[in-house]
Amino acid sequence: MSKRPSRIARTGSWLDSRLGLARVARTSLRKVFPDHWSFLLGEVALYSFVVLLLTGIYLTFFFKPSQAETVYHGSYAALDGVTMTRAYRSAVELSFDVRAGLVMRQMHHWAAIVFVAAMVVHLARVFFTGAFRRPRELNWMVGVTLLLLGIGNGFTGYSLLDDQLSGTGLRIAYSIVLSIPLIGTWITSLLFGGEFPGPDIIERFYVLHILLVPAIIIGMLALHLTMVVHQKHTQFRGPGRREDNVVGERIWPTYAVKASGLFFLTTGILAALGGLAQINPIWIYGPFEPSEVSAASQPDWYIGWLEGALRVMPAWELRAFGFELPNPFFAGVLLPSLTFGLLYLWPFLEARRTGDRDVHHLLDRPRDKPMRTALGVATIAFYAVLFFAGGSDVLATEFHLSFNQLTWSLRVALFLVPILAGLVAHRLCRDLAARDAEPPHDPPDPPARGHDRDAAASSDVESALVLDEPEEELEPVAWPPPASVLRSGPPSAKPLPP
Amino acid sequence: MAVVVALSLSILAGLGLAVVYARGGQAQLEGMLLALSLLGIGVGLVIWAKQFLPNEEAEEARKPLESDPQDAAAFTAELERGEEAIGSRRLLLGLITGGLGALGLALVFPIRSLGPRPGRGLFQTGMADGRRLVTAEKEPVRLEDVPVDGLLTVWPEGHEEEADSSTLLIRVGDESLFREPVVLPWTVGPVVAYSKLCTHTGCPVGLYQAEEHLLLCPCHQSTFEVLAGARPVFGPATRALPQLPLGVDDQGFLVAKGDFEGPVSAGFWDRSR
Amino acid sequence: MTTRPWAWAAASVVTLAVALGPLVGSGAHAEERLVPAAAEPEEAGRQLFVTGCSSCHGLDGRGTDRGPTLENSGAASAYYYLSTGRMPLADDTQPTRKEPSYSAEEIDQLTAYVASLGDGPPLPEVDPSHGDLATGGVLYRANCAGCHSAAGVGGALSYGGYAPSISKSEPEQIAAAVRVGPGEMPVFGPEAFDDEELESLVRYVRFLQDAPTPGGGRLGGAGAIPEGFVGWLFGMAGCIAATVWIGAKRAGRGTA
Repeated sequence: MSKRPSRIARTGSWLDSRLGLARVARTSLRKVFPDHWSFLLGEVALYSFVVLLLTGIYLTFFFKPSQAETVYHGSYAALDGVTMTRAYRSAVELSFDVRAGLVMRQMHHWAAIVFVAAMVVHLARVFFTGAFRRPRELNWMVGVTLLLLGIGNGFTGYSLLDDQLSGTGLRIAYSIVLSIPLIGTWITSLLFGGEFPGPDIIERFYVLHILLVPAIIIGMLALHLTMVVHQKHTQFRGPGRREDNVVGERIWPTYAVKASGLFFLTTGILAALGGLAQINPIWIYGPFEPSEVSAASQPDWYIGWLEGALRVMPAWELRAFGFELPNPFFAGVLLPSLTFGLLYLWPFLEARRTGDRDVHHLLDRPRDKPMRTALGVATIAFYAVLFFAGGSDVLATEFHLSFNQLTWSLRVALFLVPILAGLVAHRLCRDLAARDAEPPHDPPDPPARGHDRDAAASSDVESALVLDEPEEELEPVAWPPPASVLRSGPPSAKPLPP
Repeated sequence: MAVVVALSLSILAGLGLAVVYARGGQAQLEGMLLALSLLGIGVGLVIWAKQFLPNEEAEEARKPLESDPQDAAAFTAELERGEEAIGSRRLLLGLITGGLGALGLALVFPIRSLGPRPGRGLFQTGMADGRRLVTAEKEPVRLEDVPVDGLLTVWPEGHEEEADSSTLLIRVGDESLFREPVVLPWTVGPVVAYSKLCTHTGCPVGLYQAEEHLLLCPCHQSTFEVLAGARPVFGPATRALPQLPLGVDDQGFLVAKGDFEGPVSAGFWDRSR
Repeated sequence: MTTRPWAWAAASVVTLAVALGPLVGSGAHAEERLVPAAAEPEEAGRQLFVTGCSSCHGLDGRGTDRGPTLENSGAASAYYYLSTGRMPLADDTQPTRKEPSYSAEEIDQLTAYVASLGDGPPLPEVDPSHGDLATGGVLYRANCAGCHSAAGVGGALSYGGYAPSISKSEPEQIAAAVRVGPGEMPVFGPEAFDDEELESLVRYVRFLQDAPTPGGGRLGGAGAIPEGFVGWLFGMAGCIAATVWIGAKRAGRGTA
């Protein structure tokens, strides 16, 4: 090693001589980040978003957001001579004739799916560990906003391509907005530029999708991360971990290298999906025709719960004095408003219920807060049932069930399953907490696996955490669906084909 | 060792990607090589960090986020001082609020340019008395063109582009099968016409189960009974598909005898007005 | 290539089916039926009919309380039901596609007999190579995708019914189904598809059966539901595995 300062150090001092940030910068480099795998889930969302930006920029070079009609003559023979909009045509050409276009488009779509999934898993981690409590209520709300924006931008994104599926989704969105009392007819007319399908919606969604919403997301992300840095990350209880310190790894160099590693791993997984798993084959769906529809028309998973709610909603609507509150309002407007309203307010609701308004930097273990954990599990179960309802026709076809019976079963399951899941979670928390309270057995019984592993690790409290609750409960997409959901209806009359 | 392997693999994959790309590209190879290249770097970085970089636990003090009482008091005092100064001019404050309010109101008008006023459009379609019903190929339709247990999607002639006008012509085995609330004078023999748009969220009700005479919407499974005025029998739809008054012109082609019996597609707050 | 299990699963199922197909087929046909060699196809068909079909459709094909009349079913209907193995019925539910119970020759004979019963639609003659692929696609999406789905994987109908997958249909079967409207399927007359359009439609359906998947694994072809599962079970789970691996440092070495 030479005595001369290294190149990176020289760059640092060059910058400092102009900006004078040495002190702040050193503090940042020496910042301590508590290390637990579940603290990296938010980073997965962040990196998926970076992939969305990068692939999205590439796509904008080739996509033409225009509803002007044109005739396709390209390399995909099955659409040769078909009339379509320029938007759809450019999306097909992007897929078949632009080199690496299809991989980029598919990576973009997979990244959107993982982006929202990672935000949901991250939100669940924050919820179950109580990381939203004072002083982090504001950052919780910023996070919920990010989730909302992510879902919204996912919808505007796949609506741009003007294929049959996206048009069907837009049609449903139009009808949902239309159902809002007093202003619904006005909003739809202004948003779509007239009655459905309207002349302007794709151009407008394009601006929202590539400019306005991403800009807000970037701003919110900056705010989210700044608050994390400023408030310092929470940590699990453990030896030497107190409310007034942070124990973990310094940002520079180890944590920074690991985080970069995670970035590349996330990106690599998305690239593998983008190249190997076909997603949204718009050339099969065909250009949007308002009078046509395909069986198995489903939205992306993060809208699936809304689709499911629309399906299981009984045929009710309110009518009075010649006015009406149409059916889609309940599932399409009321439910998401309640969902996000409760999410936004949760930190304050919980503080009001428990009376706990103290500052917390040490996290809860889910088992130590059985009520909160049970409520969280029940909520996840509720939306998981709705998600399955969103695919009821596909499930019915796949498992040779009657969707009529399936729909009825899901209507019942929508109330029963969350209650049961909540009760089981509550019980599990109590048992686990009780086990922790006992003095550790020695030696731990080898054949009994599972929860004993946690008990054995109870001295190292943090490692016991989270491996069980949020992750397992967080699989709203477990396949096949819970037996209770499928079996609660009468058996199907349809045997499997030989 | 593992780091070297991972990073070398990444270099190879990156070079391979360049070759594949230069030779015209192939989506699966591109995706796989890109993934290998990225995963190689990722794995390399993580192993490197785990094995060769300092891994000792560090501790950092966490100071209270709240400012100390003196600073906080000074800050709120500053806020109050300004507030008093501003608040002492009640009239000006009121005027400024008024100005901003008027400006906000003015900003509503550009928004108004985004689209037309939602007029009677939602209540009307392209159907009108005497308009022929034509197929996607713009051919007019005779009664015989609709086979028994068959269906045909038609539009009003000259208004094929109006998305709310798509209509289903369905022919059942015999007209005696129709029952309430089918409007019998609006049928032509065994052929009945309904709006194709679901009354729930407006999806085309394209699935016709000919044996059961059921129309099914694939979006949310609303099911309509064709023989009984397309009343909803399952799913979230609350209203029947509006029936179209159907007739025959002097050349034997099927025509509309007016608009649908009510607004088609999804509901809205003043639909019944 | 763990990222495309659907493709692999599908591939192995297909391989298995191809491997076992002949076995199953030969088993079904092991029992030789004695048909007079010189008999007219119609007469041979009548004899087959009396043995195999008359218990439900009646000795004269005019139906019983267990099965409908076939008077005006025509060759198209008979060929469709027999060649897709939907008839004879396995049980009393919706007829399901299976290996045909009769040989090709026997099907022709039975078809000829049923056609002679009345005034039903003839078996449409189609040559998909005359059709236009893109026109077929437009017609398919407008008329067929609603039930059979854009990718042709089929879809659910009311009360346990379903529109079958079109992945195995032969050209004549497709054409016959369109003209006959078997079961719940509506009838599509010449106003919906003329004979030329029918050939285009058949060509597109055949194309769909083996449609290229430039994007990689087909994931079952049922759209966003399988896509969502793959996104969670591979994308999200993979990323979680990465975080666990990165965070696993201290668990291995033990904390101080």
